[in-house]
Amino acid sequence: MLPSFSYARPRTLKDALTRLSASGAHPHAGGTDLLGCLRDGVFDAREVVSLSDLAELRGIARTKDGGLRIGALATLAELARHPDVVSRYPVLAQGAAAAASPQLRNQGTVGGNVCQRPRCWYFRGDFLCARKGGELCYAENGENEYHAIFGGSGCHIVHPSDTAPALVALGATAVVASAKGSRRVPMEKLFVLPAVDIHHETVLAPGELVTEILVPPPPPGARSLYRKVRSRAAWDFALAGVAAVVSVADGKVTNARLVLSGVAPVPWRVPGAERALAGKPLDAASAAVAARAAVEGAAPLAGNGYKVDLVRGVVEEALTVLATPATPA
Amino acid sequence: MVELYWLQGAVPETAAPTAEMPPWGETKVVGTRQPRVDAYERVSGSAVYPRDFTLPDMLHAALLLCPHPHARVKAIDTSAAEKMPGVRAVLTGRSPGADVPWYGRGDKAASRLFDDHLRHEGDEVAAVAAETPDQAFDALRAIRVTYEELPFVLTPEAALAKGAPSLHAWGNRYGEPSVYERGDLAAGFAAADAVVEGTYSTACELHAPMEVHGSVAKWDGSRLTVWDTTQGVFAVQQAVAEALKLPLAHVRVIGPYMGGGFGSKLEGGKYTVMAALLARATARPVKLFLTREQEFLVTGNRPANTMKVRVGAKKDGTLTAIDYHSMGSGGAYPSGAGTAFLATDLYTCPNVRAVDENVAINAGRARPMRAPGFPQGAWALEQALDELAGKLGLDPVALRLKNVPTVSQRRGNQPYTSTGLAECLRQGAKAFGWDEARARAKGTGPVRKGVGMAAALWGYGGGPPSTAIVKLFTDGSVNLNMGAADIGTGTKTVMAMVVAEELAVPLDRIQIEHADTGTTEYASPSGGSKTVPSDSPAVRAAAVEVRSKLLALAAEEMKVPVADLALDGGSVVSRKDPAKKLAVTAVPGLQRQQVLVGVGTRGPNAEGKVVSEFAAHFAEVEVNERTGEVTVTRLVAAQESGRVMNRLTFENQVRGGLVMGLGLGRTEERVLDRQTGKMVNANWHDYKIPTALDVPAAQEVLSVDPKDTLCNTTGAKGVGEPATIPTAAAIANAVANAVGVRVKDSPITPPRLCALLHARGKVG
Repeated sequence: MLPSFSYARPRTLKDALTRLSASGAHPHAGGTDLLGCLRDGVFDAREVVSLSDLAELRGIARTKDGGLRIGALATLAELARHPDVVSRYPVLAQGAAAAASPQLRNQGTVGGNVCQRPRCWYFRGDFLCARKGGELCYAENGENEYHAIFGGSGCHIVHPSDTAPALVALGATAVVASAKGSRRVPMEKLFVLPAVDIHHETVLAPGELVTEILVPPPPPGARSLYRKVRSRAAWDFALAGVAAVVSVADGKVTNARLVLSGVAPVPWRVPGAERALAGKPLDAASAAVAARAAVEGAAPLAGNGYKVDLVRGVVEEALTVLATPATPA
Repeated sequence: MVELYWLQGAVPETAAPTAEMPPWGETKVVGTRQPRVDAYERVSGSAVYPRDFTLPDMLHAALLLCPHPHARVKAIDTSAAEKMPGVRAVLTGRSPGADVPWYGRGDKAASRLFDDHLRHEGDEVAAVAAETPDQAFDALRAIRVTYEELPFVLTPEAALAKGAPSLHAWGNRYGEPSVYERGDLAAGFAAADAVVEGTYSTACELHAPMEVHGSVAKWDGSRLTVWDTTQGVFAVQQAVAEALKLPLAHVRVIGPYMGGGFGSKLEGGKYTVMAALLARATARPVKLFLTREQEFLVTGNRPANTMKVRVGAKKDGTLTAIDYHSMGSGGAYPSGAGTAFLATDLYTCPNVRAVDENVAINAGRARPMRAPGFPQGAWALEQALDELAGKLGLDPVALRLKNVPTVSQRRGNQPYTSTGLAECLRQGAKAFGWDEARARAKGTGPVRKGVGMAAALWGYGGGPPSTAIVKLFTDGSVNLNMGAADIGTGTKTVMAMVVAEELAVPLDRIQIEHADTGTTEYASPSGGSKTVPSDSPAVRAAAVEVRSKLLALAAEEMKVPVADLALDGGSVVSRKDPAKKLAVTAVPGLQRQQVLVGVGTRGPNAEGKVVSEFAAHFAEVEVNERTGEVTVTRLVAAQESGRVMNRLTFENQVRGGLVMGLGLGRTEERVLDRQTGKMVNANWHDYKIPTALDVPAAQEVLSVDPKDTLCNTTGAKGVGEPATIPTAAAIANAVANAVGVRVKDSPITPPRLCALLHARGKVG
């Protein structure tokens, strides 16, 4: 059932990164998806490298600049209830809380959530699809109700994460380490479209690991939320969702970042909608305009045209909610 | 007639009832709230389910299934697999004893245990037994199968199209369309003041029980013992004995606990016979269970149905005509797919035509699933009635009350032993606050509220054969022996309560032996919501016989006429002179004999009458018009199931029924890839069963008890299935009430509703 692999639990990050540099090595963080992927043959592993002894990858703490440092091993449950996150970054706490189920949130990590493989049922199932090295994207002419309306070319997966859109909307940065050293990658640049690389969802090179995520201080006057629509109230991925961070000063929108979930192979920023809000009062009228702008350029497949309407609906609702003064900043 | 799907072939006649028993008056134990007698075992994990079962030297087996929807096996090479570490046997259709007819008997069988003609993804190709499960699964990958892939059909429409590939030698139809007619349909519609017409469909649902299907098989010489996760040990015994040409007496099937079946475990499975063949080949016990993914492909489903309904009524709501047509698929092998019964019998209507068509497709075979055909029928009929009420300007409850029958029109106009339909409608509406809820504003914002209801009947109230044995021991404790499985519904608890009622013995002094063909008495499989109405009278009769014997022995000792004696808290007491009492344990005759045995059998049902259960469900929903999200905020279920035996497990069952009904209405759908014919959501994430958050906390369960003394000697009817029939339709009607858009295709998902709302120009 499972492939044959060795298992290591290094004590230091350096040791872990050395092991991960070997071909066929996979990191094991929460492990909520790793075992399933191995069992289902989604990918293979020669060595599984446990990160569980690496204390330096844990924790959520405020940084000197007033931002937030989130260890990649922080669990989704920790993120969802952390007082600093809940009060200053509602979009992120809500994204973490919207993922999976309570058991999975207790075990699953933010690093794993951001880097998880897609849930496309062809990719996960008994189909040699383009992303797995085959010729065909089965979703293109198949059962594509849950697939992408933006950014699909040769592959129509949607990005499965609920925290990644929030982190992109907050302008967060991923710290990425390998045996050769470390680098910083803005969350917005972490993900790749299939047109760039059909086999990978991130820019991580082999052996690279997301070790922490840095979130800048919330902009003054910022209001934020994450709203997710799904078929089932728990343990379900987004049909469509939006992470919205909107700053308002003197009754006008000074800055808006809107990132969609569940509709594209990467967390999907909608600059047109952001521009539509800039300089306008945040109200029902601007929400409707921005919602329309959010779906510009959508290219639905035969079975997911509803997502165009759904995105409009969910963006309009999110902005309307943010427009009401009762919403916590 | 309702398909008697739980009865396989001919069944033995029951013996004459053992004792004349008047209906119970006031009861002391029956009807109270009692936790399950095996609750501790079930929640602590000490209960050994067949999936947990292990034997010394036991081998582990795994199944190789066909990856294609339609194929022919050209060659199988098992040589590499046979040489793999730990592998002890590889079984294919070429193996000794494995050429067994399946899905039907003898020449009429539609297939074989292993068939070279594979008709759906998941059809069985080979099985391996090895020392460990991993070795067995590794060996499967080493089996080389050469398939010739064949063109496939995934829908009845495609299967009936010209030039469609044939699944079976006789074609793609399971029999000619079944047609039921009464009255004059044209005249009925001509007399109508309003007519509604619509096409409704329900998606294919899967049983998805917690415990996957499987068996452990062990031979002792020529005698076979099987531990099976099943709803009916006797059905498995019969299937295995037939397949292996063994005497029934040489096949013992034991099913102590089982983790859910919902109809998918009513019959003997291929896996049981394969486990037995592998065990025989290796001279070792063999455990063969499906994987979770295989479970979704091969253990059955509630088939998808497309239903065309036309209903006519007079201005006052009197129904004049119902025209109903249902198309469904039993899947790749013969199985039921009918849905028409409800349309012919739920309401009084003189002019009815109802057609059921059943067509073969290249997908897993259907099996009975909790009220087979009825939730689909309710989805169509009860939405049509809702539309009709709207068109006539009548309240939906009032429309139904106008048409409540007192006889079963479908079954020779025979009267019901009791009919609680009207009371379910009235009491359900009252408890729900129907009139107030209908009058309440739906809201003006993007989130609208709505309410809806639907009704149901279930067609069968149990019957013979059933035999039970009750034994009273010298210390006053009791053993109950019965063949029925407790499929999670609380059967054991209910039966213990019946014994406790008659013998005045506490529940914790009753031991139960059940579901073992070697040591317990015949009961038909636990299905059809008929276990309690079929078996509780037999249990009562057995307990009454023990009581009669005990009282006779006590009368001898006490010098009091038997008629004057009663049982009370461990003593035999004179009714006339309560000072005269004798402890049960002090009855000399009992001590002499060491045990008093009572044998009870189920008598026949009342002649010339029909036993049915009735229900009405009420739902309140909130619909987000921007997103198509539906939240079910409240459910009320009014059930007429005769006497409620255990109020606690009765409520459990109804709540379970509501959840499953909600699954049909809101979340569950098998998805087959149109390009490859393969199921894309064969797992518990993508096949969406409702979670706790999808089910409203606000649920109310009402029992409407008309004190039916005719149905049987305990007055109890079934509840498992009627509790799930109308739920989905009630939710659909509530959604229509909230937003004015009717979702005719299940499930009502945000994608589907969002698209419909948008098409009407209401989204965004």
